[in-house]
Amino acid sequence: MDISNSVVKKDHAQKMSGQAVYVEDYPTKGILFGKLLRSAKARARIKSIKIPPLPDGYIIVDKNDVPGVNQVHIVMDDTPVFANETVEYIGDPILMTVGPCEKEAKRIIEQIQVEYEDLEPILDMRKYDTVFFDYNYDKGNVDKAFKEADIIYEEEFQTGYQEQAYLETNGMTAEPGDGFITIHGSLQCPYYVHTAISKALGWPGDKVQIKQDTTGGGFGGKEDYPSILACQVAVAALKAGKPVQVIFDRREDMEFTSKRHPSICTYKAAVKDGKVTAMDIDVMYNSGAYTTLSAVVLQRGLICANGVYNIPNQRVRGRAVKTNTVPCGAFRGFGAPQTFFAMEMIMSHIAKDLSLDPLTFKKAHIAKQGDATSTSGKYHFPVPLNEMIDKIDQASGYWAKREEYEHQAGRYRKGIGISLCFHGAGFTGSGERDLIKAVTKLHKYPDGTVEILAANADIGQGVKTTFAKIVAKELNLPLEKIIIENPDTFRVPDSGPTVASRSLMTVGELLRRAAIRLGKEWKDGEEQWVEERFEEPDFVIPFDLNVFKGDAYPTYAWGVNAVELEVDTLTGLSKVLGAWGCYDVGTPADMNIVVGQMEGGLLQGLGYSSIEYMTADAKGRIRNNSYSDYIIPTSVDVPNMEVIMHVEEYPYGPYGAKGAGELPLVGVPGAYAAAMEQALGVSINHIPFTAEDTIKTLREA
Amino acid sequence: MENIIKFNLNGKETVYTGSPSARLLDVLREDYRLIGTKCGCKEGECGACSVIMDGRLVNSCMVAMGRANGSSIMTIEGYRETERFAALDKAYAEVSAVQCGFCIPGMILASECLLAKNPNPTAEEIREGISGNLCRCTGYNAIVKAITIASEGGRGLW
Amino acid sequence: MVKSYLASSLEEALELRGKFDLIPYCGGTDLMIDDDEERAYLFLHQVPELKGLNEDDEYIRIGAACTFTELLESRLTPAILKNAVSQIAAPAIRNLGTVGGNIGNGSPKADTALIFFVTDSKVRLMSSKGQRTVPISRLYLGRNKLDLKPDELITEVLMPKHGLDNYYYKKIGARRALAISRLSFAGLMKAENGRITSFATAFGAITDVILRRDDLDNLFIGKTLDEAKAVKDEYIKAYDKAIVPIQGRISAEYRKDVCMNLLKDFLDSMGI
Repeated sequence: MDISNSVVKKDHAQKMSGQAVYVEDYPTKGILFGKLLRSAKARARIKSIKIPPLPDGYIIVDKNDVPGVNQVHIVMDDTPVFANETVEYIGDPILMTVGPCEKEAKRIIEQIQVEYEDLEPILDMRKYDTVFFDYNYDKGNVDKAFKEADIIYEEEFQTGYQEQAYLETNGMTAEPGDGFITIHGSLQCPYYVHTAISKALGWPGDKVQIKQDTTGGGFGGKEDYPSILACQVAVAALKAGKPVQVIFDRREDMEFTSKRHPSICTYKAAVKDGKVTAMDIDVMYNSGAYTTLSAVVLQRGLICANGVYNIPNQRVRGRAVKTNTVPCGAFRGFGAPQTFFAMEMIMSHIAKDLSLDPLTFKKAHIAKQGDATSTSGKYHFPVPLNEMIDKIDQASGYWAKREEYEHQAGRYRKGIGISLCFHGAGFTGSGERDLIKAVTKLHKYPDGTVEILAANADIGQGVKTTFAKIVAKELNLPLEKIIIENPDTFRVPDSGPTVASRSLMTVGELLRRAAIRLGKEWKDGEEQWVEERFEEPDFVIPFDLNVFKGDAYPTYAWGVNAVELEVDTLTGLSKVLGAWGCYDVGTPADMNIVVGQMEGGLLQGLGYSSIEYMTADAKGRIRNNSYSDYIIPTSVDVPNMEVIMHVEEYPYGPYGAKGAGELPLVGVPGAYAAAMEQALGVSINHIPFTAEDTIKTLREA
Repeated sequence: MENIIKFNLNGKETVYTGSPSARLLDVLREDYRLIGTKCGCKEGECGACSVIMDGRLVNSCMVAMGRANGSSIMTIEGYRETERFAALDKAYAEVSAVQCGFCIPGMILASECLLAKNPNPTAEEIREGISGNLCRCTGYNAIVKAITIASEGGRGLW
Repeated sequence: MVKSYLASSLEEALELRGKFDLIPYCGGTDLMIDDDEERAYLFLHQVPELKGLNEDDEYIRIGAACTFTELLESRLTPAILKNAVSQIAAPAIRNLGTVGGNIGNGSPKADTALIFFVTDSKVRLMSSKGQRTVPISRLYLGRNKLDLKPDELITEVLMPKHGLDNYYYKKIGARRALAISRLSFAGLMKAENGRITSFATAFGAITDVILRRDDLDNLFIGKTLDEAKAVKDEYIKAYDKAIVPIQGRISAEYRKDVCMNLLKDFLDSMGI
């Protein structure tokens, strides 16, 4: 059985028929509903809170009710379960009202009077006064290269928020049991939630049960946020002595949950003899009010800062700064889209200044297998970008159109752009080995069925199916004999979070080995268990986070994107005539599933580049808080999207597979902006580049 | 209004005695426990709550119960018993068009309505027919392919 | 609990409207965005007199409860109106949303209202005491404010059916479907025997009320195309002063630029 052959997904039937149970679908008899009171101020001290008389059956839950520590553990511990003395952003949760009727709980919230002592908020990331994380690393001799340069370029690039906009909002239910607590909901990482709950409640791990419900999309937006909501409902459930559920409505979710970090990047390049010899890069990400995942997002952004190119001399500095705005977290790409955008743009701007074709110029710099990475690790495996560029050209007619569209005039102007990227497959650095330490198990029942026990959540990306395929293939069993349920921490070991495009590549490989072992040890009619633990492959050069040196990732997934568009200079509106992505994620573990991921990510990348504009008002409140204000693509917006797979097998991934989920979004902004640049005859340095930007650019031309 | 609202729900004559201004979406989910109809935004902007009312696709979050009086409503629970559903089921499965699944019940009913009106749609017509159903996972290509396959394979069904 | 009512005839609807404080509900796609179960509605979807879509010698007569989909499916609907309606939201909204509701919410973004403005359509308002027919421009008093008495219902739109063939319509939304208008423009021209006999323009979504400056448009009436070209600059200059878009999520500068671009393109397309 060729693993790539598509199968009917394990969860197809129940989702198709409407029988899949998401957190909001459970019967609500005996459940209490919670509503959060959130800060109306971006930064303030809470002077007093006046609670109106509460009807029977309604309680207030706040920081005083947290049994353990009033902290939600997300890498660090600065996010409170409920606000302490100060509030740090509009939306910071202060307390929860809980009772039998959700509407009544909401009414009570509206009657609560909070007296604030205003403090001066920082809303503009350029005006930061607190740096959460400050990293830097270098390679070679940057100062010497700049001294010897023929030309020096410097440019600033900006990227905006992006909201995950999963169709199912965040939701969580906590049910106090007899000496334990069960929490279930929409989430990506059961064990992240587990750790956070144990800490906040001060309870040992074996008293905490986290269960993932069928989850309606995540994209990183449910990587850390669920830990916060889970702690809040857990505390409430313990106080109430009854199950408590909180489901966000769309506005609450859009305004107050995590988003992609906005960025400001300054890139300096030294060019000698027509080649970039050095780069001096400064990256700044807007963390929002708390640290959450910013350290890791920044790390990835910095590691990717020089793109797919072999630049011998580099200095990279990055800061994640605090602002009194909604804390930013994970979103497909996790810090890489921002820096890939900047790098792709400056490379083409340099090329244009040197009167060279941008793609030819970029190709001359592409790293090769064996070259050092930005962090002085190594590209151990083939870098297939040149072949992939050819594939994109075949599909899109890139070269011919690029020439045809030079110097557009008239009302409708076309442009085509191309970009190159990678996604470091797996968790950054030695995290997999030192922090996650993934464990997975197979449980064979006497009847010959085999259950997969892993903590990875199927959030639509199909891990239930791909995991099952791997085990079925090794044991030569039909797919129906492989059982895989939504993870429950009482039943599955910690195989690590569903993040970093690691599930298939890392956990899938553990399952493959476990299945092989089970196959060898198989005894008919007996119950058997097999456990498999992560081991870092030998070839990996260990990564030292203190100096950013070594293999940040064991391998890379590669991407080439092309976007062709037509701009109506009268209205500023743009039509995407074609969008192509050629992606190397190793052996596709299921062709339909992998292509589906590529297409979904490509479209998200197009939205990020163009119409997904999100901003805060003067007080620091997110303005785009509904699907009518935060614009994501519909079925009619990009009808011509094509994905082409390229396969470079990764020997340490199951059947040659590597990390796939995030790659398809990462390179899209560079291609979109390049197409827009050609159409308008200008240089672009920010995304999203909207219709308004187009008209403004034309006006100023 | 006597606060008696009569409507046909998945083929069954039904009487609702609650508030006429309650949302059909909430009533379907809470009063009738038909949880296949999902809530994505409550503003008519995403289509996750789509149901078929008097043969037309509507967002059930935009329908007050009073408006439903005298109408015929079909949810995914009713539709999944039909032969047409089976054709769509097969097609969607063939191209793995279901990812997280949250948009799917609404998307299926939108598929039904567009094929009922136009049994041999072009890709463009399909996209227009599902333009009110947001999907964040798939990029829509697989869904369009699935509906095309269903329309071709389901000759005579629509 | 507040009481809602379901009307089964126009007479009954008007009586209820006059007697109780009720919110008229046809399609509900605007009303239901607010989460208010305490509202008392007057459900009109079963009032047959409001569903008519007919024509007489002068007008297309559109019942207030006609849905957008019904307009799209009727051969009576003029092309300019079909064009605008086809770009409203998405199929599910069009299946419910009505002309009466589109006007009733008093928004300058209402897609059909723009067409009714530019065609100088009339709106019939009825109460149990009588009725009146007003030009649509006189119905709008301000943003979300209509000259609608508490006992009146919008029952019909009378859209002039002649002189609609030569039209221009553009809606600028954030994307190709499910898009609320960021600005919109409609224009009409009719010429007979080499002279312009009617000329009309209107802009939506940029000011509190749809902008209809027939005083400016009248500059072209009676002129030949060449004569019209001679006053084109004057017209554009005057309109430039008249268009002062509101700054909202979308900048006023963008709206202004694109409005003027569309106006000029309209003139070009008409040969002026």
